[in-house]
Amino acid sequence: MSDTRDVCIVAQWEFGRFFKWKDQLISLALFLLVSGVWAGAALVAGSRGSTVTIAISGIDVQPPAGGRFRFVPAAPDDATRAAALRRGDVQGLLSRRPDGRFDLIVAKEPRYRSELAALLGDVVRRERLEATGVTPEALQRILEPPALDVRFADPARERIGRAEKIAAGVCVGIMLMAVFTSLSYLLIGITGEKQLRVTESVISAISPQAWIDGKVLGITAYSLVSAANVALGLSLVGLAAQLASGFAWPSAALRPAVALVLLLYTMLGLLLWNAFFAAVAATVNDMYTSSRSSLTFLPLLPVVLSVAVIRDPDGLVARFLALFPLTSAPALPMRMVLSDPGLLEIGCSLAFLAGAVWLMRRMAGRIFELGILLYGKEPTLAEMVRWATERRDR
Amino acid sequence: MDAASVRAHGVSKRFSGHVAAERLSFEVRRGEVFALLGPNGAGKTTTVRMLIGIIRPDEGHIDVPGEGPARGRLHPDRTGYLPEDRGLYQEIPILRSLVYFGRLRGLDRRESTRRACEWLERMGLLDRRHDRLDALSKGNQQRVQFIAAVLHRPALAILDEPFSGLDPVSQEFFLDVVRDLKASGTTVLLSSHQMDLVERIADRVLLLNHGREILSGSVGELRAGLDPRLRLRVTLEQAADAAVLRADADVADIAGDGPEFRLTLRTGVQAPQFLARLVTRVPLTAIGTDAPRLHDVFIRAVRDDEARIAGRLS
Repeated sequence: MSDTRDVCIVAQWEFGRFFKWKDQLISLALFLLVSGVWAGAALVAGSRGSTVTIAISGIDVQPPAGGRFRFVPAAPDDATRAAALRRGDVQGLLSRRPDGRFDLIVAKEPRYRSELAALLGDVVRRERLEATGVTPEALQRILEPPALDVRFADPARERIGRAEKIAAGVCVGIMLMAVFTSLSYLLIGITGEKQLRVTESVISAISPQAWIDGKVLGITAYSLVSAANVALGLSLVGLAAQLASGFAWPSAALRPAVALVLLLYTMLGLLLWNAFFAAVAATVNDMYTSSRSSLTFLPLLPVVLSVAVIRDPDGLVARFLALFPLTSAPALPMRMVLSDPGLLEIGCSLAFLAGAVWLMRRMAGRIFELGILLYGKEPTLAEMVRWATERRDR
Repeated sequence: MDAASVRAHGVSKRFSGHVAAERLSFEVRRGEVFALLGPNGAGKTTTVRMLIGIIRPDEGHIDVPGEGPARGRLHPDRTGYLPEDRGLYQEIPILRSLVYFGRLRGLDRRESTRRACEWLERMGLLDRRHDRLDALSKGNQQRVQFIAAVLHRPALAILDEPFSGLDPVSQEFFLDVVRDLKASGTTVLLSSHQMDLVERIADRVLLLNHGREILSGSVGELRAGLDPRLRLRVTLEQAADAAVLRADADVADIAGDGPEFRLTLRTGVQAPQFLARLVTRVPLTAIGTDAPRLHDVFIRAVRDDEARIAGRLS
């Protein structure tokens, strides 16, 4: 029987072992719920309006255009003013003392306090300037804010807005989630097989390399499906945000090339880490007691390093991280979202990553072959390196 | 066609200086039940694992006729393996697990399902095919494990300690299954230290101690090799009549303290004549032959070997 057939059978088995429609649908339903609640809450808030109505007396103040304040004249008597405040017709009663200080009477904590203070500051400044005899036209010119147009020397940088940075962070977050999903299932699966003594039955039927390849492929496929489900869920949340508050999708997130590269790098990055952790898991009897469990934090390292890409997407560090196989999976897609790496850079990065995946797969297979049948003793790091590098015939 | 299903040529294996197998040479012939016997730690499982190809011998090689010398490994599709360390996926329905193992051994999904259902029916577990393995009793889990080993109708079935942990009823059941496998043309290699079961089904045996061969041959040859003299088991009406037996010139040895005695006759004495004379002299309630058991052969051979080792060391 060919190894390819064995790999496919194991991959199907591993995928089916962990994939459950019910879990995926529950995850999606939770996203739908969050999206629905968010959109609903925002729409309700929108329909009620966020306008703050303030009743004023003895103050000449104009609300700025597009602002949320609305000023109405206060009722002449205290009882009517208090009743309006109680009913919620107005959110505050604003008056001015003879010494120039303002009084604001409210029914509950005014969250608009700082905005109102800034507005009243403008009123006071305008009064003081008018007192100096400045003409209204001159006063208008004085208060007019200066015009500042920002243009980027590199047009590619122009689109790096907050939304793009969030999109880059979300991409890396999803990738990280996929890596940790794989990692946990690999560790649970392989150490479980060792504890249940399933290993000999399988190893007698297929080669260790076919077994690890199938495992890595099956669990990678499972993690990709889970990640796609999360991405779909986040898109629903994005749609809800768009509907409720006019959220603008980052331009990079809508480019098919970015989506393709993201998928490719997520897949290769997963294969790389999964091969590594399959080999580690094969040498461990119980993950809860093994010192090797600290290795599970390793995939965080490339992500932490990739923060450099967000800070300076075209810097030397970012370019290196996008080429280096252990960090390129998060770094290059981030560079694509935040900048424009050339085709040559993308090609080289992909080639290095694919080569690293192949190399890791071979070394992991050798460690797996010996480690998977080892009970009660964990090999040392030196032994693992020797296993990974020595040539065997099988 | 080569008469051998698999041959071991001087295979040795050491683990951290400890000799697990030392220059073992033997062949398993097509269609026979071949038993690897030995006390715990004799090297049976190591030998089986080398045959399967899970571990490589440090010296020597395994020859698999028809597979070519380079591969040196039994073909997975034509070999079934019941490991000593048993285990299947506990949380997965048993039919699904069996179909998976059938597919790993070369069957397609449909054929694997069909054969798994056939075997489950034979084992009385068909109606539990969708149960998780951990919902079954230990004995039934062993039955499922056995199915996983032979589902694909292997030409050679290697069963490492197939009777361990089984109750007497299940042991009888598995003896019948092994006989059926043999009848259907499957060569069976099993390792065990349960001599009373092995001698009922094995054609030939290889006895190991400390990784070395100390005896080999057919069960009959080994029994005869232990002591060719005829043995009888007699039960006397009165134990006092044992004196008559002790005085008989044809009796070389008598053991027991009555009313049942085990007699070893002198070389050349024929049973019919001796018994005809005996019944006229003492009243008996039961008579039977008392052939040496494989157990006795095993104990004697291992003790002799231990004595040899002790002598060499001193």
